[in-house]
Amino acid sequence: MLGALLYLRLTSLRNLLVQRVRRLRQPKYLVGTAVAVAYFYFILIHRNGPAAPAAAMAAQSMAQAGLLASAATCGGLCLLAVLRIAFLWIMPDEKPGLRFTEPEIAFLFPAPVSRRALIHFRLVSSQFAILFTSVLIAFFFNRAGYMGGSRATRAIGWWIILSTFDLHLNGTKLTLSRLRERSPRFLAWRIAVVLALAAYVYAVFRSGIALVNAYATQTQSLLEAPGALVHQVLSSPVFFWLTLPFRFVLAPYFASGLGDFAAALGPALLFLGLHYYWVSHTEARFEEGSIALAEKRAAAKAAMQRGEMPRIGNSRPKASPGPFPLSESGPPEIAFLWKNLLSMRSALFSRRALLIVAALALWAAASLGPVLSHQARRNGGDFFSPMVLGFTAIIAVYTVLLGPQIARQDLRGDLANADILKTYPVAGWRIALGQLLAPTLVLSSILWVLIVVAAAAADPLGTIGWLSPGVRVTAAVCLAAVVPFVCLIQMLVPNTAMVLFPGWYQATRSRGGGIEVIGQRMIFGVVQLLFALLVVVPSVLAALLVVFSSQWILGAGPAIVLATAAVLMILASESVMGIWWLGERFERFDLSVDTR
Amino acid sequence: MIEVQALAKQYGSFSAVRDLSFSVRPGEVLGLVGPNGAGKTTTLRCLAGIIPMTSGTVRVAGHDLAVDPVEAKRHLAFFADEPRLFEYLTVRQHLAFVARIYGVRDHETIATPLLEELELLEKADELPGELSRGMKQKLVIACGLLHSPSVMFFDEPLTGLDPLGIRRMKDSIVRRAQAGAAVVLSSHLLHLLEEVCTNVLILKKGEKVADGTLSEVSAQFSNGEAGVSLEEIFIRATGGTEG
Ligand SMILES: Nc1ncnc2c1ncn2[C@@H]1O[C@H](COP(=O)(O)OP(=O)(O)OP(=O)(O)O)[C@@H](O)[C@H]1O
Ligand SMILES: [Mg+2]
Repeated sequence: MLGALLYLRLTSLRNLLVQRVRRLRQPKYLVGTAVAVAYFYFILIHRNGPAAPAAAMAAQSMAQAGLLASAATCGGLCLLAVLRIAFLWIMPDEKPGLRFTEPEIAFLFPAPVSRRALIHFRLVSSQFAILFTSVLIAFFFNRAGYMGGSRATRAIGWWIILSTFDLHLNGTKLTLSRLRERSPRFLAWRIAVVLALAAYVYAVFRSGIALVNAYATQTQSLLEAPGALVHQVLSSPVFFWLTLPFRFVLAPYFASGLGDFAAALGPALLFLGLHYYWVSHTEARFEEGSIALAEKRAAAKAAMQRGEMPRIGNSRPKASPGPFPLSESGPPEIAFLWKNLLSMRSALFSRRALLIVAALALWAAASLGPVLSHQARRNGGDFFSPMVLGFTAIIAVYTVLLGPQIARQDLRGDLANADILKTYPVAGWRIALGQLLAPTLVLSSILWVLIVVAAAAADPLGTIGWLSPGVRVTAAVCLAAVVPFVCLIQMLVPNTAMVLFPGWYQATRSRGGGIEVIGQRMIFGVVQLLFALLVVVPSVLAALLVVFSSQWILGAGPAIVLATAAVLMILASESVMGIWWLGERFERFDLSVDTR
Repeated sequence: MIEVQALAKQYGSFSAVRDLSFSVRPGEVLGLVGPNGAGKTTTLRCLAGIIPMTSGTVRVAGHDLAVDPVEAKRHLAFFADEPRLFEYLTVRQHLAFVARIYGVRDHETIATPLLEELELLEKADELPGELSRGMKQKLVIACGLLHSPSVMFFDEPLTGLDPLGIRRMKDSIVRRAQAGAAVVLSSHLLHLLEEVCTNVLILKKGEKVADGTLSEVSAQFSNGEAGVSLEEIFIRATGGTEG
């Protein structure tokens, strides 16, 4: 069994490497690789090189702060791990599944292989990924040099952490499945475990807070010597015993020397071994769940390759009614708008995604509200309006730059259906225009809301003389008129890139690609940014020029209108040319050849 | 209805179809046969205007595909070998979308009997993800037939359908041909082709080996024997081991 597995993994790995190297003959992969390698060289490896004298001076205080930061990060990650486990107990999968790929299921599940052997197969095959990840992390992120230890010990440390967590997740899934099968008090069990976990987290938290408070009364400022604080907390007996399991797992990673490391390795491996025993001796059904999981992952992968974003919450798509009734006659563009709005609703806004967003917004409001009101009271002045303006500006920039990457319900989303689209009796430019309408409309709507908010929030005390209500409304309306064209051009960029370089585009969509894919993505990102600047900067300059040169004669309001007219002319002609060209290219586009 | 003149298609330097000419008149059903990789799918995709041909001319319902693609496409329907659907549109929404694209008036009165015939009515409000492969294929067929095309291209139309589905598909193709449509279909199921097709065209490595009515082609390869099956002809024509 294990021999077969090793054979499968090693031959696959070898063929993958061979294929990757061969691919470098194609310029798209070669350039991608070159860019990514250069990036990593300069950003990661170069920075880890010999430190400048000033940096060495700062290192002392850096180490102190770094210690606090790592302690906080570490605590946060442990908390996340506990939450992940708790989540499994709170909402166990109907049928828990282990991660197999579809071909693995096709070949192994009907094979004369015991369930335990399958579990082994799963554990060993995840070891390949874990080993690889450990080595990669340890080699690329060598920043934490102040903690001592070497790359090798840290790689092994990572391996222990990831393996233990992987085993614990699988053990929990299998145990839950077994409990569901065998125990009539499944719910009671789960409640008990969740309560125990909550009590545990609470206890750790309380003891930690108590120690921090005690330290704060001892010293003047909490942050004077953060390292000492960390040491004090970590060495307190209560805290020590409470966090013992986590210490077992983390100790090898944090070991500062070989002796330390060797001492830490024993308990860590023992703990890992216990987990292994637990997982491999829990007999439970997992086949159906694994099949469902594999299908889900394959579907997600296919969606990625089609050019869609992964669904948040990963729930199954649901049928939804059309955004508006689609009549049978009229321009075909509207049919594409209708279709893509429909897809967007199902693809981007699953109910779980909306819940997550709502929860995040609530959390942000709850935590930011007191801070804001406190600041406002202290400064006396108006703190709120610049804050709101700042936020709207940030969201607007993100919408324009990142929106086209997220809202992919356009030509890119229909890459796999290009064949059908081309049998339609519709000219290329009309297909292009129709496909771009939906994301353009959605992005524009977001920007319109932001404009309204900004117009209302700007200068509430009326300190800026020329910003009369009339000018305010005129400016908002003019900006709103320009917005759809900006969005349309932003959507044109990635779509044209896809049609021009479908091979490139396809490559950037495939998950788990190698280093060349990272480079290709970077190139795409830069191109998008360049185009945004290329489109926006000349129009903004033109607008400013018109406003400043004419407002002396016309007044602010008419000057803004005049400037808008000029900008609209520029943007509209750019859009028309872009769409026409995209349509031309799409008509010539040959999916079967170009994406090979 | 369909006139193909010296059609050629190259993938890079690889020539998948060479110098292919044939025509299909209204009421004719042309069976495109050939070994795997002979170029059947490539030919059909060129005829439907999906991929640009390297050279040659194709006229569909009197319109040159290269000169006036929109008019030509208004009259044709292409059914791919793999059913491709929009993931987030239900069965009914697919039909509504296609109706708008082709400007089909009053599509509900056409669509409902079509769904009924294809036994999709009870799945009308489900997404493609919830359909079986055969059902997806039926939905593709329903979408393609909605605008009553006069020229139809089928690439392996029968794989994945249940026996009743195959029977209905054959009947439907024959009926539409009798009503004046021109049909080209590729399939490896030769005994089924024998029942449906009026003409056959045998392709081998991108080149035409034989073309004509069923009896003409069998005469060409039967060496005077009587009652030779299409399968036997196929094997002789494409140089199979027994040939
Ligand atoms: N996108 C492509 N790029 C390069 N070569 C291709 C491409 N698509 C098809 N080919 C090649 O063109 C030839 C014809 O392929 P085609 O798909 O038309 O065959 P087919 O007759 O439909 O075969 P099958 O019976 O298997 O469906 C094959 O040799 C194939 O390898
Ligand atoms: Mg084929």
